[in-house]
Amino acid sequence: MKTPMPLQSACKEFEEDLVLYYYGETSEEERRRVGQHLSGCLRCQGFLGDLQRLLPQMARTEELPQSFWDNYYRETVAKLAQQDERKHWWRALIPSIKIWMVPAFGTVAMAVLVIGLLFGKGNLSSFTVRPTEKIPHEILADENQLQFFESMDLLESLGKLEAQDEQKPEAVNTQSSRVKLQSGIA
Amino acid sequence: MTNPDELRDEQLVELCRQGERHYFDVLVRRYMEKAFRIAFDFTRNTETAKDLSQDAFLRAFANINQFDGRSSFYTWFYRIVVNLCLDHARRQHRVGWESLDRITEEPGERKELADSTFAPDQQAIASEAQRRVDQTLETMPNKQRTAFLLRNHQGLSIADVAKVMKTTEGTVRVYLHRAVAALRQSLLELV
Repeated sequence: MKTPMPLQSACKEFEEDLVLYYYGETSEEERRRVGQHLSGCLRCQGFLGDLQRLLPQMARTEELPQSFWDNYYRETVAKLAQQDERKHWWRALIPSIKIWMVPAFGTVAMAVLVIGLLFGKGNLSSFTVRPTEKIPHEILADENQLQFFESMDLLESLGKLEAQDEQKPEAVNTQSSRVKLQSGIA
Repeated sequence: MTNPDELRDEQLVELCRQGERHYFDVLVRRYMEKAFRIAFDFTRNTETAKDLSQDAFLRAFANINQFDGRSSFYTWFYRIVVNLCLDHARRQHRVGWESLDRITEEPGERKELADSTFAPDQQAIASEAQRRVDQTLETMPNKQRTAFLLRNHQGLSIADVAKVMKTTEGTVRVYLHRAVAALRQSLLELV
Protein backbone atom coordinates (compact mmCIF):
# COMPACT_ATOMS: atom_id res chain seq x y z
CA MET A 1 0.00 0.00 0.00
CA LYS A 2 1.61 3.20 -1.13
CA THR A 3 -0.98 5.73 0.01
CA PRO A 4 -3.72 5.20 2.57
CA MET A 5 -6.39 6.78 0.35
CA PRO A 6 -10.05 5.95 0.91
CA LEU A 7 -12.09 3.79 -1.43
CA GLN A 8 -13.61 5.43 -4.48
CA SER A 9 -17.26 5.18 -5.42
CA ALA A 10 -18.36 2.74 -8.11
CA CYS A 11 -21.41 2.73 -10.35
CA LYS A 12 -24.27 1.67 -8.08
CA GLU A 13 -25.46 -1.18 -10.28
CA PHE A 14 -21.95 -2.66 -10.51
CA GLU A 15 -20.82 -2.26 -6.92
CA GLU A 16 -21.91 -5.70 -5.67
CA ASP A 17 -20.66 -7.36 -8.84
CA LEU A 18 -17.28 -5.69 -8.43
CA VAL A 19 -16.93 -7.09 -4.90
CA LEU A 20 -17.70 -10.57 -6.21
CA TYR A 21 -15.43 -9.93 -9.22
CA TYR A 22 -12.60 -9.09 -6.86
CA TYR A 23 -13.13 -12.34 -4.93
CA GLY A 24 -13.41 -14.33 -8.16
CA GLU A 25 -16.94 -15.38 -7.28
CA THR A 26 -18.72 -14.42 -10.50
CA SER A 27 -19.92 -16.70 -13.26
CA GLU A 28 -18.19 -16.54 -16.63
CA GLU A 29 -21.02 -14.48 -18.07
CA GLU A 30 -21.01 -12.00 -15.19
CA ARG A 31 -17.25 -11.74 -15.42
CA ARG A 32 -17.47 -10.80 -19.09
CA ARG A 33 -20.20 -8.25 -18.45
CA VAL A 34 -18.26 -6.61 -15.57
CA GLY A 35 -15.06 -6.71 -17.61
CA GLN A 36 -16.74 -4.87 -20.49
CA HIS A 37 -18.05 -2.22 -18.15
CA LEU A 38 -14.69 -1.84 -16.43
CA SER A 39 -12.89 -1.16 -19.69
CA GLY A 40 -14.90 2.02 -20.15
CA CYS A 41 -15.50 3.20 -16.56
CA LEU A 42 -12.75 4.95 -14.63
CA ARG A 43 -14.80 5.13 -11.41
CA CYS A 44 -15.30 1.36 -11.27
CA GLN A 45 -11.64 0.82 -12.18
CA GLY A 46 -10.69 2.99 -9.22
CA PHE A 47 -13.11 1.14 -6.93
CA LEU A 48 -11.73 -2.24 -7.96
CA GLY A 49 -8.18 -0.94 -7.54
CA ASP A 50 -9.01 0.12 -3.99
CA LEU A 51 -10.46 -3.30 -3.18
CA GLN A 52 -7.35 -4.96 -4.54
CA ARG A 53 -5.18 -2.64 -2.48
CA LEU A 54 -7.02 -2.61 0.85
CA LEU A 55 -8.85 -5.91 1.36
CA PRO A 56 -5.72 -8.12 1.37
CA GLN A 57 -4.12 -5.72 3.87
CA MET A 58 -7.07 -6.06 6.22
CA ALA A 59 -6.62 -9.82 6.17
CA ARG A 60 -2.89 -9.81 6.83
CA THR A 61 -1.98 -10.92 10.33
CA GLU A 62 1.23 -11.03 12.24
CA GLU A 63 3.27 -14.19 11.87
CA LEU A 64 3.59 -16.10 15.13
CA PRO A 65 6.77 -17.97 16.06
CA GLN A 66 6.96 -21.75 15.67
CA SER A 67 7.27 -22.11 19.45
CA PHE A 68 3.74 -20.68 19.79
CA TRP A 69 2.35 -23.39 17.51
CA ASP A 70 4.36 -26.11 19.22
CA ASN A 71 2.92 -25.07 22.59
CA TYR A 72 -0.54 -24.73 21.11
CA TYR A 73 -0.43 -28.24 19.71
CA ARG A 74 0.95 -29.75 22.92
CA GLU A 75 -1.68 -28.02 25.06
CA THR A 76 -4.55 -29.01 22.80
CA VAL A 77 -3.50 -32.67 22.65
CA ALA A 78 -3.12 -32.71 26.47
CA LYS A 79 -6.61 -31.20 26.89
CA LEU A 80 -8.04 -33.78 24.50
CA ALA A 81 -6.43 -36.59 26.51
CA GLN A 82 -7.87 -35.15 29.75
CA GLN A 83 -11.31 -34.91 28.22
CA ASP A 84 -11.06 -38.46 26.96
CA GLU A 85 -10.08 -39.71 30.42
CA ARG A 86 -13.00 -37.92 32.04
CA LYS A 87 -15.34 -39.38 29.46
CA HIS A 88 -14.26 -42.93 30.18
CA TRP A 89 -13.60 -42.73 33.95
CA TRP A 90 -15.83 -45.75 34.58
CA ARG A 91 -13.52 -47.96 32.55
CA ALA A 92 -10.89 -47.55 35.26
CA LEU A 93 -13.27 -49.19 37.73
CA ILE A 94 -13.84 -52.32 35.68
CA PRO A 95 -10.52 -54.11 36.47
CA SER A 96 -11.08 -53.67 40.24
CA ILE A 97 -14.53 -55.32 40.15
CA LYS A 98 -14.30 -59.07 41.01
CA ILE A 99 -16.78 -61.69 39.85
CA TRP A 100 -17.98 -62.45 43.40
CA MET A 101 -18.90 -58.78 43.84
CA VAL A 102 -21.72 -58.97 41.29
CA PRO A 103 -24.12 -61.24 43.31
CA ALA A 104 -23.09 -59.44 46.50
CA PHE A 105 -24.07 -56.06 45.05
CA GLY A 106 -27.29 -57.60 43.74
CA THR A 107 -28.24 -58.95 47.19
CA VAL A 108 -27.52 -55.61 48.84
CA ALA A 109 -29.61 -53.79 46.25
CA MET A 110 -32.53 -56.18 46.79
CA ALA A 111 -32.28 -55.78 50.57
CA VAL A 112 -32.35 -51.99 50.26
CA LEU A 113 -35.39 -52.24 47.99
CA VAL A 114 -37.31 -54.54 50.37
CA ILE A 115 -36.50 -52.39 53.43
CA GLY A 116 -37.53 -49.32 51.54
CA LEU A 117 -40.88 -50.84 50.59
CA LEU A 118 -41.56 -52.12 54.13
CA PHE A 119 -40.81 -48.87 55.90
CA GLY A 120 -42.14 -46.67 53.18
CA LYS A 121 -45.52 -48.46 52.96
CA GLY A 122 -47.17 -46.58 55.81
CA ASN A 123 -46.08 -43.26 54.48
CA LEU A 124 -47.22 -43.96 50.97
CA SER A 125 -50.90 -43.40 51.75
CA SER A 126 -50.18 -39.92 53.05
CA PHE A 127 -48.99 -38.99 49.56
CA THR A 128 -51.80 -40.66 47.65
CA VAL A 129 -54.95 -40.06 49.79
CA ARG A 130 -56.25 -36.59 49.43
CA PRO A 131 -57.14 -35.03 52.79
CA THR A 132 -60.84 -34.19 53.25
CA GLU A 133 -61.61 -30.57 52.80
CA LYS A 134 -62.67 -28.80 56.00
CA ILE A 135 -65.49 -26.31 55.83
CA PRO A 136 -64.54 -23.08 57.56
CA HIS A 137 -66.29 -22.27 60.84
CA GLU A 138 -67.62 -19.00 59.46
CA ILE A 139 -69.59 -20.75 56.73
CA LEU A 140 -71.04 -23.31 59.17
CA ALA A 141 -72.10 -20.52 61.52
CA ASP A 142 -73.79 -18.63 58.69
CA GLU A 143 -75.70 -21.74 57.67
CA ASN A 144 -77.10 -22.19 61.22
CA GLN A 145 -78.07 -18.52 61.39
CA LEU A 146 -79.89 -18.77 58.08
CA GLN A 147 -82.08 -21.63 59.33
CA PHE A 148 -82.73 -19.72 62.53
CA PHE A 149 -83.83 -16.58 60.67
CA GLU A 150 -86.09 -18.61 58.36
CA SER A 151 -87.82 -20.04 61.49
CA MET A 152 -88.06 -16.54 62.95
CA ASP A 153 -89.92 -15.28 59.86
CA LEU A 154 -92.49 -18.05 60.14
CA LEU A 155 -93.00 -17.40 63.88
CA GLU A 156 -93.58 -13.72 63.21
CA SER A 157 -96.08 -14.63 60.49
CA LEU A 158 -97.76 -16.98 62.97
CA GLY A 159 -98.30 -14.07 65.41
CA LYS A 160 -99.87 -11.96 62.68
CA LEU A 161 -102.14 -14.79 61.60
CA GLU A 162 -103.28 -15.26 65.20
CA ALA A 163 -104.11 -11.56 65.36
CA GLN A 164 -106.16 -11.92 62.18
CA ASP A 165 -107.90 -14.94 63.65
CA GLU A 166 -108.97 -12.87 66.63
CA GLN A 167 -110.54 -10.31 64.27
CA LYS A 168 -112.22 -13.03 62.13
CA PRO A 169 -113.47 -15.84 64.40
CA GLU A 170 -113.86 -18.43 61.63
CA ALA A 171 -112.17 -21.25 63.39
CA VAL A 172 -112.03 -23.51 60.40
CA ASN A 173 -109.92 -21.09 58.26
CA THR A 174 -107.55 -20.21 61.10
CA GLN A 175 -107.12 -23.82 61.95
CA SER A 176 -106.22 -24.64 58.39
CA SER A 177 -103.71 -21.71 58.27
CA ARG A 178 -102.02 -22.90 61.45
CA VAL A 179 -101.72 -26.36 60.08
CA LYS A 180 -100.06 -24.95 56.93
CA LEU A 181 -97.64 -22.81 58.95
CA GLN A 182 -96.69 -25.59 61.32
CA SER A 183 -96.06 -27.90 58.42
CA GLY A 184 -93.88 -25.07 56.96
CA ILE A 185 -91.83 -24.84 60.20
CA ALA A 186 -91.49 -28.56 60.38
CA MET B 1 1.15 -48.55 7.02
CA THR B 2 -0.14 -45.23 5.65
CA ASN B 3 1.28 -42.06 7.08
CA PRO B 4 -1.57 -40.43 9.10
CA ASP B 5 -0.68 -37.03 7.63
CA GLU B 6 -1.58 -38.35 4.20
CA LEU B 7 -5.07 -39.45 5.22
CA ARG B 8 -8.04 -37.36 4.20
CA ASP B 9 -10.09 -35.58 6.86
CA GLU B 10 -13.00 -37.98 6.48
CA GLN B 11 -10.72 -41.00 6.91
CA LEU B 12 -9.25 -39.52 10.08
CA VAL B 13 -12.73 -38.80 11.41
CA GLU B 14 -13.78 -42.38 10.74
CA LEU B 15 -10.74 -43.72 12.60
CA CYS B 16 -11.54 -41.42 15.55
CA ARG B 17 -15.07 -42.80 15.61
CA GLN B 18 -13.63 -46.29 15.85
CA GLY B 19 -11.84 -45.26 19.04
CA GLU B 20 -8.47 -44.32 17.58
CA ARG B 21 -8.28 -41.03 19.40
CA HIS B 22 -4.70 -40.19 18.42
CA TYR B 23 -5.81 -39.69 14.80
CA PHE B 24 -7.61 -36.57 15.94
CA ASP B 25 -4.19 -35.10 16.75
CA VAL B 26 -3.53 -35.02 13.01
CA LEU B 27 -6.67 -32.93 12.52
CA VAL B 28 -5.48 -30.60 15.29
CA ARG B 29 -2.14 -30.14 13.55
CA ARG B 30 -3.89 -29.60 10.23
CA TYR B 31 -6.40 -26.99 11.39
CA MET B 32 -4.91 -25.34 14.47
CA GLU B 33 -3.58 -22.33 12.62
CA LYS B 34 -6.81 -21.68 10.73
CA ALA B 35 -8.91 -22.17 13.86
CA PHE B 36 -6.71 -19.76 15.78
CA ARG B 37 -6.80 -17.18 12.96
CA ILE B 38 -10.60 -17.24 12.78
CA ALA B 39 -10.87 -16.83 16.54
CA PHE B 40 -8.30 -14.03 16.45
CA ASP B 41 -10.19 -12.21 13.67
CA PHE B 42 -13.26 -12.26 15.88
CA THR B 43 -11.69 -11.50 19.24
CA ARG B 44 -8.48 -9.53 18.41
CA ASN B 45 -6.92 -11.11 21.47
CA THR B 46 -4.25 -13.83 21.31
CA GLU B 47 -5.07 -15.60 24.58
CA THR B 48 -8.82 -15.58 24.00
CA ALA B 49 -8.35 -16.79 20.43
CA LYS B 50 -6.15 -19.60 21.70
CA ASP B 51 -8.69 -20.67 24.34
CA LEU B 52 -11.66 -20.50 21.97
CA SER B 53 -9.97 -22.38 19.15
CA GLN B 54 -8.71 -25.09 21.54
CA ASP B 55 -12.21 -25.35 22.97
CA ALA B 56 -13.48 -25.83 19.41
CA PHE B 57 -11.18 -28.84 19.00
CA LEU B 58 -12.45 -30.31 22.29
CA ARG B 59 -16.05 -29.87 21.20
CA ALA B 60 -15.40 -31.26 17.75
CA PHE B 61 -13.82 -34.35 19.27
CA ALA B 62 -16.57 -34.79 21.85
CA ASN B 63 -19.20 -34.58 19.09
CA ILE B 64 -17.32 -36.44 16.39
CA ASN B 65 -20.15 -38.97 16.12
CA GLN B 66 -22.54 -36.17 15.17
CA PHE B 67 -20.49 -35.30 12.10
CA ASP B 68 -22.65 -36.85 9.37
CA GLY B 69 -20.26 -36.35 6.47
CA ARG B 70 -22.78 -34.40 4.40
CA SER B 71 -20.41 -31.42 4.47
CA SER B 72 -16.65 -31.46 4.63
CA PHE B 73 -14.99 -31.75 8.02
CA TYR B 74 -13.51 -28.27 7.87
CA THR B 75 -16.83 -26.49 7.18
CA TRP B 76 -18.34 -28.45 10.09
CA PHE B 77 -15.37 -27.55 12.28
CA TYR B 78 -15.29 -23.88 11.19
CA ARG B 79 -18.93 -23.64 12.18
CA ILE B 80 -18.02 -24.79 15.68
CA VAL B 81 -15.23 -22.19 15.86
CA VAL B 82 -17.46 -19.38 14.58
CA ASN B 83 -20.30 -20.29 16.94
CA LEU B 84 -17.92 -20.29 19.90
CA CYS B 85 -16.58 -16.89 18.86
CA LEU B 86 -20.07 -15.42 18.46
CA ASP B 87 -21.17 -16.90 21.81
CA HIS B 88 -18.10 -15.39 23.40
CA ALA B 89 -18.84 -12.01 21.83
CA ARG B 90 -22.44 -12.17 23.05
CA ARG B 91 -21.32 -13.01 26.59
CA GLN B 92 -18.60 -10.43 26.70
CA HIS B 93 -20.41 -7.91 24.51
CA ARG B 94 -17.42 -5.75 23.94
CA VAL B 95 -14.67 -7.55 25.77
CA GLY B 96 -13.43 -9.18 22.60
CA TRP B 97 -12.81 -5.79 21.13
CA GLU B 98 -11.81 -3.82 24.15
CA SER B 99 -8.19 -4.55 23.33
CA LEU B 100 -8.44 -2.01 20.51
CA ASP B 101 -6.93 0.64 22.75
CA ARG B 102 -4.21 -1.75 23.78
CA ILE B 103 -3.53 -2.53 20.14
CA THR B 104 -3.16 1.16 19.44
CA GLU B 105 -0.64 1.34 22.25
CA GLU B 106 1.17 -1.75 20.99
CA PRO B 107 1.91 -0.97 17.36
CA GLY B 108 3.50 -4.38 16.77
CA GLU B 109 0.21 -6.17 17.38
CA ARG B 110 -1.68 -4.91 14.36
CA LYS B 111 -0.32 -2.54 11.79
CA GLU B 112 -1.44 -3.96 8.48
CA LEU B 113 -2.72 -0.71 7.07
CA ALA B 114 0.14 1.27 8.55
CA ASP B 115 3.43 1.10 6.69
CA SER B 116 6.83 2.18 7.94
CA THR B 117 7.64 3.57 4.48
CA PHE B 118 5.00 6.30 4.95
CA ALA B 119 5.79 9.76 6.09
CA PRO B 120 4.62 10.40 9.70
CA ASP B 121 1.39 12.10 8.56
CA GLN B 122 0.62 9.21 6.23
CA GLN B 123 1.31 6.74 9.03
CA ALA B 124 -1.13 8.63 11.23
CA ILE B 125 -3.79 8.38 8.52
CA ALA B 126 -3.06 4.68 8.07
CA SER B 127 -3.38 4.08 11.83
CA GLU B 128 -6.65 5.94 11.84
CA ALA B 129 -7.80 3.88 8.83
CA GLN B 130 -6.94 0.69 10.71
CA ARG B 131 -8.77 1.88 13.80
CA ARG B 132 -11.85 2.63 11.71
CA VAL B 133 -11.73 -0.74 10.00
CA ASP B 134 -11.56 -2.48 13.38
CA GLN B 135 -14.33 -0.31 14.76
CA THR B 136 -16.54 -0.96 11.73
CA LEU B 137 -16.01 -4.70 12.01
CA GLU B 138 -16.82 -4.48 15.70
CA THR B 139 -20.16 -2.77 15.15
CA MET B 140 -21.08 -4.77 12.05
CA PRO B 141 -23.92 -7.31 12.38
CA ASN B 142 -22.54 -10.76 13.23
CA LYS B 143 -23.63 -12.36 9.97
CA GLN B 144 -21.99 -9.71 7.82
CA ARG B 145 -18.83 -9.87 9.90
CA THR B 146 -18.73 -13.67 9.75
CA ALA B 147 -19.21 -13.69 5.97
CA PHE B 148 -16.54 -11.04 5.48
CA LEU B 149 -13.98 -12.60 7.82
CA LEU B 150 -14.42 -16.10 6.42
CA ARG B 151 -14.20 -14.93 2.80
CA ASN B 152 -11.69 -12.13 3.06
CA HIS B 153 -9.47 -13.27 5.93
CA GLN B 154 -9.77 -17.06 5.70
CA GLY B 155 -10.14 -17.33 1.95
CA LEU B 156 -13.16 -19.65 2.05
CA SER B 157 -15.24 -19.72 -1.10
CA ILE B 158 -18.73 -18.21 -0.90
CA ALA B 159 -20.12 -21.75 -1.23
CA ASP B 160 -18.15 -22.87 1.83
CA VAL B 161 -19.05 -19.73 3.78
CA ALA B 162 -22.69 -20.53 3.05
CA LYS B 163 -22.19 -24.07 4.40
CA VAL B 164 -20.49 -22.79 7.56
CA MET B 165 -23.25 -20.24 8.11
CA LYS B 166 -25.97 -22.66 6.99
CA THR B 167 -27.43 -20.18 4.56
CA THR B 168 -27.60 -19.68 0.80
CA GLU B 169 -24.80 -18.41 -1.41
CA GLY B 170 -27.00 -15.49 -2.47
CA THR B 171 -27.39 -14.42 1.14
CA VAL B 172 -23.63 -14.62 1.69
CA ARG B 173 -23.06 -12.44 -1.40
CA VAL B 174 -25.38 -9.83 0.08
CA TYR B 175 -23.63 -9.99 3.49
CA LEU B 176 -20.25 -9.68 1.82
CA HIS B 177 -21.25 -6.70 -0.27
CA ARG B 178 -22.78 -4.95 2.74
CA ALA B 179 -19.68 -5.58 4.81
CA VAL B 180 -17.40 -4.15 2.12
CA ALA B 181 -19.77 -1.19 1.65
CA ALA B 182 -19.69 -0.49 5.40
CA LEU B 183 -15.90 -0.67 5.49
CA ARG B 184 -15.70 1.59 2.45
CA GLN B 185 -18.04 4.07 4.09
CA SER B 186 -15.94 4.15 7.25
CA LEU B 187 -12.87 4.94 5.18
CA LEU B 188 -14.64 7.58 3.09
CA GLU B 189 -15.41 9.44 6.30
CA LEU B 190 -11.69 9.73 6.87
CA VAL B 191 -11.38 12.41 4.16
